[in-house]
Amino acid sequence: MKKVLEIFLGILTAMGGFVEVGELTFALNAGSRFGYDLLWIVALGTLGIIVFCEMAGRVAAARGQPVFNLIRERVGFSGGLITLIGANAVCVMTCAAEIGGIALLWQLLSGWPYRPLLLLALVFFLVVVWFFKFNWIERVFGLLGLLMVVFCVAVYMMEPDWNEFAKGFIPGLPVVESSREILVYAFFAVSLLSSIMLPYETYFYASGGIEDHWKPQDVNLNRVIVLIGFPLGGVLAVSLIVIGAEFLGPRDIEAHLPGTAAMAASSQLGKVGLIVALLGMFFAFAGAAIETAMSAAYNLSQFLGWPWGKFRPPQQASRFTLSWVVVFVLATLVVLTGIDPIKVVEYAIVFSVVVLPLTYFPMLMVAQDRNVMGEYANGPLASVLGWFYFIVITLAAIAALPLMIATHGGQG
Amino acid sequence: MTRRGGHLDLVHELLDHELVDVNGTPCGVIDDIELTGGIGERLRVTALLVGPGASGPRLPRLVGWAVARLFSTRRVRVPWDQIDTISERIVLKTTGASLGLGKLDRKVGRWLARLPGSDKAH
Repeated sequence: MKKVLEIFLGILTAMGGFVEVGELTFALNAGSRFGYDLLWIVALGTLGIIVFCEMAGRVAAARGQPVFNLIRERVGFSGGLITLIGANAVCVMTCAAEIGGIALLWQLLSGWPYRPLLLLALVFFLVVVWFFKFNWIERVFGLLGLLMVVFCVAVYMMEPDWNEFAKGFIPGLPVVESSREILVYAFFAVSLLSSIMLPYETYFYASGGIEDHWKPQDVNLNRVIVLIGFPLGGVLAVSLIVIGAEFLGPRDIEAHLPGTAAMAASSQLGKVGLIVALLGMFFAFAGAAIETAMSAAYNLSQFLGWPWGKFRPPQQASRFTLSWVVVFVLATLVVLTGIDPIKVVEYAIVFSVVVLPLTYFPMLMVAQDRNVMGEYANGPLASVLGWFYFIVITLAAIAALPLMIATHGGQG
Repeated sequence: MTRRGGHLDLVHELLDHELVDVNGTPCGVIDDIELTGGIGERLRVTALLVGPGASGPRLPRLVGWAVARLFSTRRVRVPWDQIDTISERIVLKTTGASLGLGKLDRKVGRWLARLPGSDKAH
């Protein structure tokens, strides 16, 4: 039974990675702008994050080593430090956006002013992460984030054109009027891919496996978890694109606020749909905030060799504990300035794809190294997929910043 | 000292590997290696060095200078005879505290101890 509950590590990681505030905006806007044309990117990204997290989880189970421990070992101090700074900057920015998103949700429900709600969210996170055991964080935020399934139900009730829907999974370029539109499409494709293959998912997932005391015999459990958790996140991302295409696009609504998605659910399922959607979003955003804050603390501790983990009392992993507290505080300060959380996360997503190959490569190197992984090294399938995705994300990383500049962040 | 294989690759098997003590508690990462021996003499590893004072000089000069100002130049010398095992992790024969490792962690730990629930793994 305990092993079955491990599934929530995958679900929480996927929920926090796939359906956080940034993904919500990108997927809705992608659907509203390009209909079903970008669905294949979700499929590509979902398989990519499965490949990446399966490797990270396998290395964590077989060698007990988390991501930044490996980066330091393989890339050395100077190179690793650049990756660490990039990765943690993305974590803080994403965490800031999630806290902002939660305050916006609470504002919708209560009508209270935004800034005090940000502080309330900060207190909420400090209390939850301090007092909750790791497996309870997994279960509560993973399970309740599943309320987001309401969006799948809403999509089903919208009765989309299933033929068109299926065609969306075939890679291709849309019919557009100008070459400029192609650039915008490419920008959305890269951003959507990035918002699914967020590197912090692997930091959290691998560290979470060690928090849950995985052993080499758990490599099969790891496979089951990634094969259930991430496709679930993928289905939700697909639903959001469809909602963008069927609900927002025709009405010329741009998803600037997290509440926009909830409106789509309420259009099909009434008040219950609205409440379930808002609750689901709250738990998914909260899961992402916890995931990013803890990831930043995991990364720093693993890079510098500090005792880390929720399985140790805070006194005994004191610098780790202090690190996640500082990340939550910094993230709250970022949104307290009044900066739009959606803008923050859009930048975070574009920059995270730039960091992605730097964390992916050392992981791939270790996972395929027979000398250190022995029987648990990459087999033929993991090798082929591993290298294929390394090429994909490297191309995405090279294209991301030029596309962002050329399209003014997707504005065209 | 026990380890796999015959010869030891200092850069790949020691440098930047995690150091854990006899209880399995992480005590830092091997930031530098102390070698002793003059020209014409046998070169020996005499200690492993841990801490910003050891890793800082490995950075580009300006960054290293900034790190030294911002953090510290403290480094702890772990004598070679205190090493028990070399694998993915370098394992000590003794506790980290007895070698002066993890001082800041214990200091911050004492400060956190004033908060409720800080002594339990949640």
